[in-house]
Amino acid sequence: MATNVPRLGMHGIGKSFGRVPVLTHVDFSVEPGEVVALLGSNGAGKSTLMKILTGLYSRDGGTIRIDGEEVDFKDPAAAVAAGVKLLPQEISVMPDMTVAENIFLGDLPLKRSLGLMQVDKATMRSRSRELLDQLGFATIHPDTLVKRLSVAEQRIVEIARALAGKARILVMDEPTAALTEQEAKMIFRIIRRLKENKVSVIYISHYLSEVFEISDRIAVLRDGRNAGTFNTADTKRAEVLAAMLGNTVDDLYDVGTPGLPGAEILNVENLSIPRKLEGVSFALRQNEILGIFGLVGSGVEVLGRALYGALGPLKSADVRLAGQSYRPQSARAGKLAGIGFVAAERKKEGIVADLTVRENIALPFEERFERGLFVSKDEESRHAIRWIEDLGIRTRGPEQKIRTLSGGNQQKVCIARWLVEGVRLLILEEPTRGVDVGARREIYGKLRELANRGYAVLILSSDVEEVAGISDRSLVLDRGRLVGEFERGAKPAELMAATGNDPAFSAA
Amino acid sequence: MAHSVETHATGGARERMSALLGQPWSGVAMLAIFYLILIAVFSVLSPFFLTLRNMLQIGGNVAYIGLMAAAGTPLIIAGGLDLSVAAIAGLTGVVISMLFGMGVPIWLAVALAIVVAAAIGVVNGLFTTRLRLNPLIVTLGMMSIISGIALVLTGGLTRPLMVPGFNWVGSGRVVGIPIPFILMMVTFVVLWVVMTRMRFGRYIYAAGGNAEASRLIGIPLEKTVIILYVISAISGAVAGTILGAMLGAAGPTAAGSQLLTVIAAIILGGTSLNGGRGSVWGTLLAVLILGTLNNGLTLLDVSSFWQDVTRGVVLMLAVSLDQIRTRALGE
Repeated sequence: MATNVPRLGMHGIGKSFGRVPVLTHVDFSVEPGEVVALLGSNGAGKSTLMKILTGLYSRDGGTIRIDGEEVDFKDPAAAVAAGVKLLPQEISVMPDMTVAENIFLGDLPLKRSLGLMQVDKATMRSRSRELLDQLGFATIHPDTLVKRLSVAEQRIVEIARALAGKARILVMDEPTAALTEQEAKMIFRIIRRLKENKVSVIYISHYLSEVFEISDRIAVLRDGRNAGTFNTADTKRAEVLAAMLGNTVDDLYDVGTPGLPGAEILNVENLSIPRKLEGVSFALRQNEILGIFGLVGSGVEVLGRALYGALGPLKSADVRLAGQSYRPQSARAGKLAGIGFVAAERKKEGIVADLTVRENIALPFEERFERGLFVSKDEESRHAIRWIEDLGIRTRGPEQKIRTLSGGNQQKVCIARWLVEGVRLLILEEPTRGVDVGARREIYGKLRELANRGYAVLILSSDVEEVAGISDRSLVLDRGRLVGEFERGAKPAELMAATGNDPAFSAA
Repeated sequence: MAHSVETHATGGARERMSALLGQPWSGVAMLAIFYLILIAVFSVLSPFFLTLRNMLQIGGNVAYIGLMAAAGTPLIIAGGLDLSVAAIAGLTGVVISMLFGMGVPIWLAVALAIVVAAAIGVVNGLFTTRLRLNPLIVTLGMMSIISGIALVLTGGLTRPLMVPGFNWVGSGRVVGIPIPFILMMVTFVVLWVVMTRMRFGRYIYAAGGNAEASRLIGIPLEKTVIILYVISAISGAVAGTILGAMLGAAGPTAAGSQLLTVIAAIILGGTSLNGGRGSVWGTLLAVLILGTLNNGLTLLDVSSFWQDVTRGVVLMLAVSLDQIRTRALGE
């Protein structure tokens, strides 16, 4: 019997937030010493499933068994105690502590000396040494301060810490996101060692080439359901992509015909930001929607705001805005130069929750609503109502607090802000993140309409279907470089495939 | 999970409650009711309380505190905090009396003291915005520096400040209303107009409501906050001037003990310490409530030591209320 029991068996897992189902009857299993890649597009339910496994979320239904025993983790500490450890995408180490201290942080070896319990530094050091040797990283010294290590080495310390805590199931969420290809190879080396020690690894990544290199099995989720499980060795990339993205053509993006591109609005030559972007060049014209797709860590999260100016003065870039030389400097300067910017994190960076819809719309260009010394509330209202109607923002009126609006309607407000004379270029990060399907379609339709009215629209998104669906032209960003350009009508799978720049798999 | 089920079960009552507490006027209305109850209670307990004379007395006494609280309100709404304001009031009296002693005309001395205060405000503002230091630490340090300087300048002694025209500002009346009270009310009205009718006011609420979003839509965040620190510092200087004129003397520590009252009034008035929410009218009511409490307890012959205790209790109640309100509004 023992041979047939998987290390981890999740069965019939269900979860919904409010009335929105996020996971429906999901099954997932991992054998001892097996590496299973968990794949799915944004919102497919990967991270929710892993948060349920590691005790961060409760589940609505289903069972979880570890080595055949049913478990029910009330919090992450209970999961860790049972040997289930999540390594989040953001590395969490204590920079001012030594490698050894970091590794034994959760369970410091103690000894009694001078009548007091003290940390047994000698034991800690020697056991750290053993662990690092075992992982194949004798080069990392236990006494080094962690802040002196490279990002990849910090990752390794984190993995060593999980092993010191007797982890049997390790969940790695995009472990190579901030790493170079060389450094990523180091992580793979460790994962192979872990396998030898019968540790099970659940590997979450968007990078297909990595997944094919390191995993034994691939489990795919789509829209919160199982969409297929594949043995890595006898599977083609195309099969996995089809399972991830589906083959149905969405009418979500069927929102009107593009116009003819007009004058060039934006021209970027050789934009570089150390460790984030390298030699990015592209152009964008009036009446055009240009989508840039990139996975987390590809630079897609910085490119838009860098151009807008939100990252401060850019040293290395040659940017022209409507034919004029333009140097990104500050958000304020970008705004005054005629750029509108909609940030990815709506709650943190977009709306001012306690203010009304009217105030949120009027805020960036408040001076235009002044009559003499005072702001004319009537003018603000008139302007707000015009765009509430134009964009179909569902609100009781301009005086409603924006916090009480749905995500989609808040997003429309964030777009409405920039629809004033003088703004020619709209830069939108993740324009439909956290927006329900109905509102998504409306937002796509409106972006098309705005483009046809003469705006140049630049979209930066980690949602490959969105970029493929709405763009007149799409570019693919991978590890800071532009690696592909596609005309309107390209398939999401083609864009996704462009990110896997490993030649061994590009044939698929 | 169990938690969210519970909230759903009692959702109806809670929603109504939070809708009520979420109304912008609900905090101010609650304060007004509390104020009226307070007046009613003291009127019953003391025959001297509810007289025009005593009411005006309260108004005059709280005015210098109200001035500082009025200016502190938009600052806290914008996400700042000024703990040095009462120390600035103390230093101002000292500077005026010393300059006057050196032969500087009294009104020029006042003007110079205000300029000094404004400079202190600029320093507070620059440290908190450009260096992104915590305002609590910066202005606490500034408070210590300023009260230290005031003590050094005077050797810890109180200096006389008797100048007929000048003292009138503290104790004079126009149609029976104390001049300090008039100054305070004018300040409240002006700030109210600025905060609700001017572009600068929009920036105040935006800066405190979501600093990152404000920066990303190109609002001059730093400038807004620095100006508010300057306004707060100037309010300290005016408060110090009024106090010196009222007392006919300038003591280096004259106003220092009122810092707690100033902050207590702003928070009791419904301004969120997290920024983004609040109004000057709430602060005004809170100032009157705290002043009335002091006055009433004095009339009832309660030791002034107990008044410190009451003020502390009221402050803690107010902070708890603010927290409950924030939660009711929903995370």
